[in-house]
Amino acid sequence: MRFRLCFGLALLAGPVFAGPYPKNSNGDLRALRIVPERVSLRGAHASQHFLVLGKFADGLERDLTNSATLSVTPADIAKLDSSGRLTAQADGAVTVSARYQGRAAAASAAIGGTGETLPFSFGREIGPILTKRGCNGSNCHGSVKGKGGFKLSGDALFPKEDYKWIVEGGTFQVLTTDEGVKRPRIDVKHPEKSLLLQKPTMTVPHGGGRRFAAGSPDYQRILNWIESGAPYGAEEQNSPRLLRVEVFPNPIVLNSGGAQQLVVEARFSNGQDLDITNEVLYVANDPAVIKINDDGLVTAVKTGETALIVRAPGQAVSADVGVIEKPIENYPVAERRNLIDEYVFAKLRRYNIIPSSLSSDSEFLRRICLDLAGTLPPPERVREFLASKDPHKRDKLIETLLNSPEFVDYWTFRLSDLLRITHLTHSTPAVTQAAWNWVRNSVATGKPYDQIARERIAGQGAAGSDRAYYRIQELLTPQEIMAEQVRVFLGRRLDCAQCHNHPFENWSQNQFWGMTAFYGRLTEVRDGWVVFDSPNGGHVNENEGTKVIHPRTKKEAQPAFLDGRVLPSEGRDDPRMRLADWIIASPYFSEAASNRIWGYFFGRGIVEPVDDFRTTNPPTHPELLAALARYFREHNFALKDLIRLIVESRTYHLSTVPNDTNREDRINYSRAVSRPLEAAVLLDAISRVTAVDEEFRFHKATGGGAAPAGTPAVNMVPEVCPSQFMDAYGRSMRQAPPSGPPAANLLQALHMWAGPAYTTKIASEDGRLGRLMRSGASDRQIIEEFYLAALARLPEPGELDTLLSVIAKRQDRRRVLQDFVWALVSSREFAYTH
Amino acid sequence: MNYVSRPLPFRAGYGCGRRDFLRAGSLSLLGISMSDLLRASESQPAPQARKAIACILLLMEGGPSQVDTWDPKASSGFKPIATDVPGLHISEALPRSARQMRKFSVIRSMHSEERNHPQGAVEFLTGHRPTPIMKFPSIGSIVAREMGLVNDMPPYVVVPQPWEYDFFSYQEAFQAAFIGSEYNALIIPDPSKPDFQVPDLSLPKTIAKEAIDDRQTLLKIVDRHYREIEESAEYGRMDKYREQALRMILSPAVKKAFDLSAESEKTKDAYGRHRFGQSALMARRLVEAGCRFVTAAGFKHGQWDTHSNNEKTLKNDLLPPFDQAFSALLQDLADRGLLETTVVLAMGEFGRTPYVNPNRGRDHWPDCWSVAIGGGGIRGGQAVGASDENGAYVKDRMVTIGDLYATIFKALGIDWTKTYMSPIGRPVYIANAIGDVAGTPVSELI
Repeated sequence: MRFRLCFGLALLAGPVFAGPYPKNSNGDLRALRIVPERVSLRGAHASQHFLVLGKFADGLERDLTNSATLSVTPADIAKLDSSGRLTAQADGAVTVSARYQGRAAAASAAIGGTGETLPFSFGREIGPILTKRGCNGSNCHGSVKGKGGFKLSGDALFPKEDYKWIVEGGTFQVLTTDEGVKRPRIDVKHPEKSLLLQKPTMTVPHGGGRRFAAGSPDYQRILNWIESGAPYGAEEQNSPRLLRVEVFPNPIVLNSGGAQQLVVEARFSNGQDLDITNEVLYVANDPAVIKINDDGLVTAVKTGETALIVRAPGQAVSADVGVIEKPIENYPVAERRNLIDEYVFAKLRRYNIIPSSLSSDSEFLRRICLDLAGTLPPPERVREFLASKDPHKRDKLIETLLNSPEFVDYWTFRLSDLLRITHLTHSTPAVTQAAWNWVRNSVATGKPYDQIARERIAGQGAAGSDRAYYRIQELLTPQEIMAEQVRVFLGRRLDCAQCHNHPFENWSQNQFWGMTAFYGRLTEVRDGWVVFDSPNGGHVNENEGTKVIHPRTKKEAQPAFLDGRVLPSEGRDDPRMRLADWIIASPYFSEAASNRIWGYFFGRGIVEPVDDFRTTNPPTHPELLAALARYFREHNFALKDLIRLIVESRTYHLSTVPNDTNREDRINYSRAVSRPLEAAVLLDAISRVTAVDEEFRFHKATGGGAAPAGTPAVNMVPEVCPSQFMDAYGRSMRQAPPSGPPAANLLQALHMWAGPAYTTKIASEDGRLGRLMRSGASDRQIIEEFYLAALARLPEPGELDTLLSVIAKRQDRRRVLQDFVWALVSSREFAYTH
Repeated sequence: MNYVSRPLPFRAGYGCGRRDFLRAGSLSLLGISMSDLLRASESQPAPQARKAIACILLLMEGGPSQVDTWDPKASSGFKPIATDVPGLHISEALPRSARQMRKFSVIRSMHSEERNHPQGAVEFLTGHRPTPIMKFPSIGSIVAREMGLVNDMPPYVVVPQPWEYDFFSYQEAFQAAFIGSEYNALIIPDPSKPDFQVPDLSLPKTIAKEAIDDRQTLLKIVDRHYREIEESAEYGRMDKYREQALRMILSPAVKKAFDLSAESEKTKDAYGRHRFGQSALMARRLVEAGCRFVTAAGFKHGQWDTHSNNEKTLKNDLLPPFDQAFSALLQDLADRGLLETTVVLAMGEFGRTPYVNPNRGRDHWPDCWSVAIGGGGIRGGQAVGASDENGAYVKDRMVTIGDLYATIFKALGIDWTKTYMSPIGRPVYIANAIGDVAGTPVSELI
């Protein structure tokens, strides 16, 4: 959304930057720099804060603004004070210099328009107060319905509406444009009695508490505005657009006792910049890690990592902040195999976290088989792999698995979960089969992901890909289909914007309905079980064309992309194809896809949840994510290429075994994190270990009968295939996009004691245990075989001895060996990938 | 989840239920009707509701026709009959329920919005209209979470699985959604079958006590290596659940609770030997043992969905077993002193059209429909709200699903204005009324 902010009226004199002092610096300065490096200022009172940052031998960058020697040349164009604040005096160009401990740095500022003063503008003058003082926060007046009868737009995104709500009163109603009871928040006749002043100063009771004091600069500014008649001010047609907001420095790493002053810079479309450090609202996502004050001074509280959210009018951005313990002197250099390692290890270095060592062959073998093929390696293969001396055996194994039929099974399963291939959706076995086949063929033929997306979004007629839109049981509406496609393919959750402007993000309700309109002509032919876009719009069963109507304005919505561009009439012959093209071309597409694929291998996305990209949920490794997105797009969205890049990286090969520096780390990939097995994979794993196939029966309503022997659980469509085990272990019934691994629960535990997978399978005479016993294998051989089958490793000597002694003591050898197998498949090591 | 272990409360001196039930009836002798009494009592604060501890939902899936059951109208082929509450009439096809009228009330002004089964199921089981973005916790899961576990009994049970004979792809409407899979329902098979047993609560006979001990020992050995390296809260939780599960499996009381053979033949006959009757009997047994919320779902999937031959199906297949089991349940609960502490609710996902269609059937109708509710401190013998003369639209005192839930939550001592925070950051009312507000308890009832 555009926010028209006229350029730079200087801030009323805010508090002078206090500035921290370099602590614990050990004195060995390696480099010096000034940020922001280049600014272009305009206006009679233009000013800019600069920061001097010094990189030390211990790897930390510290704030040296108050210690460095500062100067500005030429001296008549601008003044520079000891806190690093530059104030314009005349038009011209200046260089700001800093010196400290023998090192020097410089920044430049171009200054213009010092003879001009700017006309008043409500958005520029009052909007920032509403943001900075938290008035328009999403849990206060910026919430969907406002609070206490007073409504503001989140982040002052809509200054015209804010103005109306303040001057006239009224609130937002979800299903109508009617504004309800109107109570003006200002009183032009008695300005000091305005609610807009009395409430935030607690002169009258205010649920939000005191936001500023009477007589403070913010109070004064509002009062002046009301006294002058509360104008809206000029909205200059040519005023430049806010392009982006930058936070300096970013990322930030502090050690205990450390602090850093921030500078927040607004960059405009005409090249002008504005220092808005004192005008924005700072929020630490995790206040246990850092504190931040109103003026942008960050102080370390405790080791950890968090995001700092900066809310400016019309935009919110984030900075990554970490607090570390004592910096490590001789940080070991880890081998880097590809670009992933570059980014991951660079961040670990910055945060003084040492990555774990490489995984053992056992760890890696089990992990890669489960992650690529959803299966456990058979004992013979484990022995082979462990014994092999081939230095390239891991890479070769990766290739083997990528080309295996199990890979096709497993990734069909994952995509089927994502694209919701269910019987409910398709309603006849043939139609369900068509949809599933489409997914499977796409995986088996290596169909590029953008092509999959295009077929899915724009499918027409009897294509397998679009069968999912035929939702007889769910009667899916266009807005639900659109919101889901956006979530799946762009990683953004627009859903809340269906009824109102999104409470946390800058998605407006109009954007939501504009996107919905692309699906406005969707109709179905019941007997043929197909969907297509009817040229005239409308549903074959209804007289009226189905139009997409905006629920508040009650007008028909026109198809418009998220960037606001309305679909021209030439594109309206096939709106969903145009939408597919736009989605695929969007930078969101590749980053969302890369993020999701990444998440499969590490248990969390770089943005987590993987389909919830938000300014308040920033990526932990933004550059890595951008690099992956670029890689994926450059490789024409070949899934196997991206997967290969990930699993060949050293990062992926790290062990789960922690060291002292990375025990707590769960988000920086310093070690592998254990992930619970999905229900279908766990069931297949138990079947493999016990060597007893699961017998799947099809639901009576689909005709009953049994699945062919040996069908893996990952190939079963959930509703067609009843399975108490999988229900207890939280398999996705595909009624909603996948939402993360199942939590341990009572029903799983009951099943573990008494369910057939844990009882009958283990006791079967024809299973692995029965066969081994019949062949005369010793206790030791049996234990080893099962360890290899279940955990891809041999038992440690200690484990083996203890187990042997327990087994030897029992009378009923068969029974106790069954108990052993039970223990193995119930263990956490078995139930998790690690 | 709070695990509360205390003696079964239902013997704690609630006294004989019969005395209480005669009281309401005696009003008519004094020439005062129920509604007069209510009007009088509105001016003083209502008596503090006794705290219910469990709830039974009798599932009438498919949507029962209100004009043929609780809200008799001219278009119905059934005549209204008097109940043992003067002035209150229900369908002649529910004679036994009519004689239990003082134990329960009917709400005739229910109003909801979804017109189809899958969506209606979500709406009446969770209070929210369905959306693909997220799933909502069902009322059973909410009650399980709020009330906690007791006596090692699973807190929320569905008996039997309604989808046994047909697709029931919206089983998720019965589940816990984001509040945690530990509040999912334990779904057990058909108790009317001779080979009935709860699979996950019965160890195979081949697994004796020594096996259980050995399994635990061996598990510790096998787990040790890994858990020395990597310990997480999740593993601890699994340990806890495993212990709890074992207690459940080995507990004679739990086994007994699920064992209908402990019931007399007379009792089983009273409920009716059909699926619905036995599921209602099982429900009584389970709440007696400490279960918090039981859904008795003995009718076939969508059996009440009478788009054709509505009257015939009601008369022959649906109302007799319902009438029998419903009245037997109320009486049985009362006899055992459980009615004061058990809310009983009979409902489907909506009602049916007030007019008859060309197939002699009635179609879906959420605009105005009825539910029956009683027990747990909820006043009996009331007819709350009114429909218009055809039973088509609400004439008087609309009640939403949220209001109904609020009433039940109030009886159970749960704060009905509460919200849960969903994973997408949207707070979700546990008693959700139309317009995204918290429902209000029906004051005529509690």
